[in-house]
Amino acid sequence: MTRQEIFDKLMEILAAAEGSDEIVKSCTESSRLRADLGLNSVNILYMVIAIEEAFGIYFDDVGVNAFETVGDTVDYIEGKLS
Amino acid sequence: MNARECFRPYNDPAEFDKIIEMDAVTDMWRHCMEQYADLPAIVFQNEAHTFAQLDKDAADFRAVLSEQVKDGARVAILARNSYDFVRAYLAAVTLGMTAVILPPQLDSMTVMGCCMLYGVSALVYEPALAAQTEAVRAKLSLPLIDITAVSGKNEPMRGCNAKTPCVMMFTGGTTGKSKCALLSHGAVMQGTVNGCYGVKHVFHQRYLLVLPFFHVFGLIRNLMTSLYTGSALMICENNKNMFRDVQTFKPTIMVMVPALAEMSLSLSRQFGKNMLGNDLKTIICGAAAVAPYLVEEYDKLGIQLLPGYGLTESANLVSGNPESLRYPDSVGYPFPNQELKIVDGELWLRGKNMMDGYVGGDESGFDADGWFHTGDLVRQDENGLLWITGRIKEIIVLSNGENISPAEVEAHFNALPFIQDSQVFEAVADSGRHILALEVVPRATVIGKMGLDNPNGFILAELEKINETLPDYQRVSRMTVRDSDFERSPSMKIVRYRLNHDQTGNL
Repeated sequence: MTRQEIFDKLMEILAAAEGSDEIVKSCTESSRLRADLGLNSVNILYMVIAIEEAFGIYFDDVGVNAFETVGDTVDYIEGKLS
Repeated sequence: MNARECFRPYNDPAEFDKIIEMDAVTDMWRHCMEQYADLPAIVFQNEAHTFAQLDKDAADFRAVLSEQVKDGARVAILARNSYDFVRAYLAAVTLGMTAVILPPQLDSMTVMGCCMLYGVSALVYEPALAAQTEAVRAKLSLPLIDITAVSGKNEPMRGCNAKTPCVMMFTGGTTGKSKCALLSHGAVMQGTVNGCYGVKHVFHQRYLLVLPFFHVFGLIRNLMTSLYTGSALMICENNKNMFRDVQTFKPTIMVMVPALAEMSLSLSRQFGKNMLGNDLKTIICGAAAVAPYLVEEYDKLGIQLLPGYGLTESANLVSGNPESLRYPDSVGYPFPNQELKIVDGELWLRGKNMMDGYVGGDESGFDADGWFHTGDLVRQDENGLLWITGRIKEIIVLSNGENISPAEVEAHFNALPFIQDSQVFEAVADSGRHILALEVVPRATVIGKMGLDNPNGFILAELEKINETLPDYQRVSRMTVRDSDFERSPSMKIVRYRLNHDQTGNL
């Protein structure tokens, strides 16, 4: 899976987690999950669980608050998949 | 019909007669040991502990406590959800000590402040949280007891009755200021037993715990009702793993706040399968307003979602709704052994489940006649069902003198299937006039399927249609469709906007 494909799939998850497609439109890898995208603790929990389900990976070595930006999250997924 | 009989039609007939009122946790524990000794009580970190094992471990920890603390003292517990927490809590309260449950995120100075304010005689702590006990260690001459300590001895339970103090728990109170409520054994047991009413199959179930023990919903409706009914409680260590735990433990009952129930439903929809597993039959949902659509959507998955209403001050449960499919927005019938009075719309309570009072402040929490004023506005229909219509502290008084209950107005907008949450609040227009404003968070999954060119325009138009049906004084003058969720408190409730009445510009 390419980095772009991971990013796109993450965008689908974020749209569902956040309850809106709006934020995804302006989202880049440097967007901060909480400060820029406005995700709250429930949204972040949703995102982590959905990533595990969608990518078939486990966040075993990090906490749910380990990622500051979208890019951090993509890095982690990419590392796990490789 | 008395309050208990009201629930009879909804419980399994054989099980209903097994719901016996008890006065003290010690009575309950003897009963548990007679009935359930060899059954699993707590599952934690892949290890199942039977009632007999928990009995032995609690007796061991009673010896640890009684060597350092006098009977009847207050013992603070600073620990995350774990088997050790259950062992320490059960040991303390069956010794006739009062367990002061401290939220594990408190910092060192706050832990010390609580120990001083609440007259604590010892602090039981989880070793991983030792840094948060530093101030107590440095400045107070309190025994600090490692929650994993083992004595190798067996200390018997003490005699407790309904009036013996049992547990102290933090609450936002009815005025929003944090307080600590003292609950007696009688109150805790009433709350524990209330958890059985209206649930068809409540004995010998499997509970998956995703709420903290420092919240009454976690301690009483989860832990205590689970033990009382001979059920097994699996403690989920990290909520991000809850669906993995679902796969292995196959829970039959879960107790949830609405935000978690909603999240589970959204995930189930996104991945096209019931993430909560096919064994789950019941969700007990409360601590915040339950959106009616949740009841209907979970019913489609074969899961009965039962909304309820409760307070820390009432040992959790005041009412429960076994008729949730017919009346999804009601909080149900009042539970037994309490008196209810509605005064100017506000619910007042008195009864066995009520706290003894707040500790550490000037306020007892009760009026001269012993009534507790909940701050919640309710109505009760001719059948006895209760509906929450708002909260007194949330009441908006506009300059025209009209009192507006935001929850009542929001309910009209929340009924739209594409609205996830809304908030009605007081704002100041550019003209300086105080107006009612509305913000909504759309439900993206519903809106997305509608294939709209201009979703926000559609939402605003639909909101305006609803607005026009409202009485003049309830109509909002400004509407905004948010592109992110509202700010939420640690308990996942929406943080309400507050208008500073000195301000003159826009919010």
